[in-house]
Amino acid sequence: MNSVRDRNESAWLLPAGPGINHRLRADMRHFDDEEEVDVVIVGCGAGGSTMAQRLARAGWSVVAMDAGPFWDPETDWVSDEAGSHHLYWTEPRVIGGADPVPLGSNNSGRGVGGSMVHYAGYAPRFHPSDFRIHSADGVGTDWPIEYTDLKPYYTEIEEELPVSGQDWPWGDPHSYSYSPNPVSGNGDMFLRGALACGITAKVGPVAIANGRFGNRPHCIYRGFCLQGCKVNAKASPLITHIPDALAHGAEVRADSMVTRIEVDERTGKATGVHYNRRGSQRFQRARMVVVAGYSIETPRLLLNSASARFPDGLCNDFDLVGRYLMVQGAPQTAGRFDAEVRMYKAPPPEVSTEEFYETDPTKPYKRGFSIQTVSPLPITWAEHVAAQGHWGAGLRQYMSDYVHWSCLGALCEFLPLPENRVILSSEKDRHGLPVAQFNYSQCDNDKALMRAAQSVMEDILHGAGADEVITIDRYAHLVGGARMGADEHSGVVDGDCRSFAVPNLYITDGSVLPTEGSANPALTIMAVAARAADRLTAGGSGSPADRIPVPVRRGATG
Amino acid sequence: MSGLPLDPSAGGGRFPGFDVMAQSKHWDEVTTSVVVSRLGMPPDIRFFRGTEEATASALCDQLLDQKNPPRVPVVNMVDARLADEQTDGWHYDGMAPDGQSWRDSLAALDEDAMVHSGCPFAEAPWDAQSAILQAVLDLGSKPWHGTPAARIWSLWTRYACTAFYSHPWAWDEIGFPGPAYPRGYKNLGVNEPGGKNNRLEPFEVADARPAQDPLRKGNS
Ligand SMILES: Cc1cc2nc3c(=O)[nH]c(=O)nc-3n(C[C@H](O)[C@H](O)[C@H](O)COP(=O)(O)OP(=O)(O)OC[C@H]3O[C@@H](n4cnc5c(N)ncnc54)[C@H](O)[C@@H]3O)c2cc1C
Ligand code: SF4
Repeated sequence: MNSVRDRNESAWLLPAGPGINHRLRADMRHFDDEEEVDVVIVGCGAGGSTMAQRLARAGWSVVAMDAGPFWDPETDWVSDEAGSHHLYWTEPRVIGGADPVPLGSNNSGRGVGGSMVHYAGYAPRFHPSDFRIHSADGVGTDWPIEYTDLKPYYTEIEEELPVSGQDWPWGDPHSYSYSPNPVSGNGDMFLRGALACGITAKVGPVAIANGRFGNRPHCIYRGFCLQGCKVNAKASPLITHIPDALAHGAEVRADSMVTRIEVDERTGKATGVHYNRRGSQRFQRARMVVVAGYSIETPRLLLNSASARFPDGLCNDFDLVGRYLMVQGAPQTAGRFDAEVRMYKAPPPEVSTEEFYETDPTKPYKRGFSIQTVSPLPITWAEHVAAQGHWGAGLRQYMSDYVHWSCLGALCEFLPLPENRVILSSEKDRHGLPVAQFNYSQCDNDKALMRAAQSVMEDILHGAGADEVITIDRYAHLVGGARMGADEHSGVVDGDCRSFAVPNLYITDGSVLPTEGSANPALTIMAVAARAADRLTAGGSGSPADRIPVPVRRGATG
Repeated sequence: MSGLPLDPSAGGGRFPGFDVMAQSKHWDEVTTSVVVSRLGMPPDIRFFRGTEEATASALCDQLLDQKNPPRVPVVNMVDARLADEQTDGWHYDGMAPDGQSWRDSLAALDEDAMVHSGCPFAEAPWDAQSAILQAVLDLGSKPWHGTPAARIWSLWTRYACTAFYSHPWAWDEIGFPGPAYPRGYKNLGVNEPGGKNNRLEPFEVADARPAQDPLRKGNS
């Protein structure tokens, strides 16, 4: 364990038991807007916080901004579904396309910690095959980096969160530093059903230690992971990376909505960011800008930063910004048992199978899906029931049966398509900025995977003894929108997350992922950010600005 | 047991003696204040105007089958969210944001009721209201007053269900203990039928009618 603490002391900087380190926050360093800091980071979620912690440790002066608050879990979060609405990004957005994807609670967070504040907590790796699906299957695209490039960072981040689970047999087989958590009723039903069907299922991988970690307490199995963990048991950057960043001199500037990235027309370099803090418009100077606002807000910010040099949006010379945005198809299938499952007990993330992850040559579709426990609380469960067409008396009666249901969710790999994208709407937000319009349409492969996953989940639940099953179609996990590519014609950033168009502009969040596999993305987003930070800070001496790599020559300039 | 009137044949009384609020002394203060506020006087109507309130009340009563008092004040809870613009942020391209969609769809319900029953929706008999709503649901993705019916239906049910199932009386009805911090749960695992392998916490109550599966053939 000591080596983790040497790299990242966050868990030891928190108080023993729940709560935050008030001293650390009160003593936080503050930079002036006029001071040219080494780096300003936009967004303190999975990617942004990892970057902040790594760069602060390397001695850079860091200002990390977030549009939302600097949470105190003790006072700001509740153990209640409806009362957790403020955790989500609920600024206006428009959704369109043939298969529009609802956003809000289901898709993105705000505030320090980002969407990981209310993510479920699954932390699987991508498979080696994910990085080469075009070469192997002729679909999607290849990444400019390989699994082996990310592997050391997967291991690092898994230790820092930390992740617990059984030995993992899929993808690149690996094990976890923490043993799996005990399994509740819902996980048990999954394991029973999988066994009956001859499907391998494993406990984990979950970013909740089975035990204490540093000063962070043991999970109390209260089931409110999607409402933010008041206990400090479930990992989010608020407790896994921000404390260490603060201890190394980073400033976290919350309640600061970045509205525009400034680029010097003469040098072609970013000079800082315009932001709105509690009603006043300000500008922070910086030698480098790192954008980490996630797949909707990152493209929106780039598009809203158009200038004479970039008339169609920053970094958008080749019409790639906002495109190839993906979600995973996430149908959820529930089964009814005479036994009481009481799926609200224990964390929703418990058990998964990746047995259907890879392309199966006997099937008419490419790529695959994973299956995991999901355990909806009553309000979300009511959505499942209402989706079956029940209302009024039928709904109430159905809901009275809640304790008897077990629920699984699939993650189906949807393919990256150019028309699935963010564009600017004619509608404006309260800052007067055009809001994002997010269009989505599924391709046939996407649809085939949804149905295949549903039928496996039905088999598992029937195998466990369910007499009835119901399914609701949902979507999860945005990625893409500013993807990495081998060159400026295929990506907005390169494999090190540096934009092709502006040499000191980086993007280190979910939007850079070119494909999304059937794995929950947060661990991969953090690993990609950790690698980018490592590449930026590796070797070299002198001031951080000197280490910015020499820009590759751009083709046509506008 | 839940204070809400629900007949045993309709799923009422399955958790005899179960009382979520009796456990509130074990909850943290912040959560308690949020939950307790739902039990106090319902918030005044601020968003719905004129006859919208009556239409919305009738609609919410229908959606959650709250024919008789005491009721969870669903319409006040929906109204409060709309007044505070506490939406999920997104709306469909070509459809108004949530607040305006509520207004438009309430007006459309009144129009339907005028055709169907010759009076506004709120004044139509219970069964006539039910028939009007079922007709909207049955349209599926086909348009209803210019908008795909399923999108309006999901708008109504999302808001109404969120309000209703955030209320402790509804939790009593479905056996859900509500907040769980800082106490958490100690007994994990499947409770087999017939009381075998009891994994209930001391404050949880077993379902008195575990075979009352709403979907079981012959029971629906
Ligand atoms: C309900 C739910 C469950 C999930 N479960 C899982 C799971 O089990 N496992 C998993 O791996 N993933 C899960 N995810 C997804 C995961 O949380 C995200 O993929 C991940 O957090 C994205 O990381 P990010 O760094 O790209 O963005 P985020 O973590 O979302 O961080 C972006 C941050 O940027 C801020 N921001 C945006 N724009 C601006 C701006 N202009 N100015 C200032 N700040 C800005 C936002 O406030 C936010 O804090 C889940 C998501 C949801 C919604
Ligand atoms: S179940 Fe565990 S990890 Fe999840 S919110 Fe509760 S204490 Fe935190």
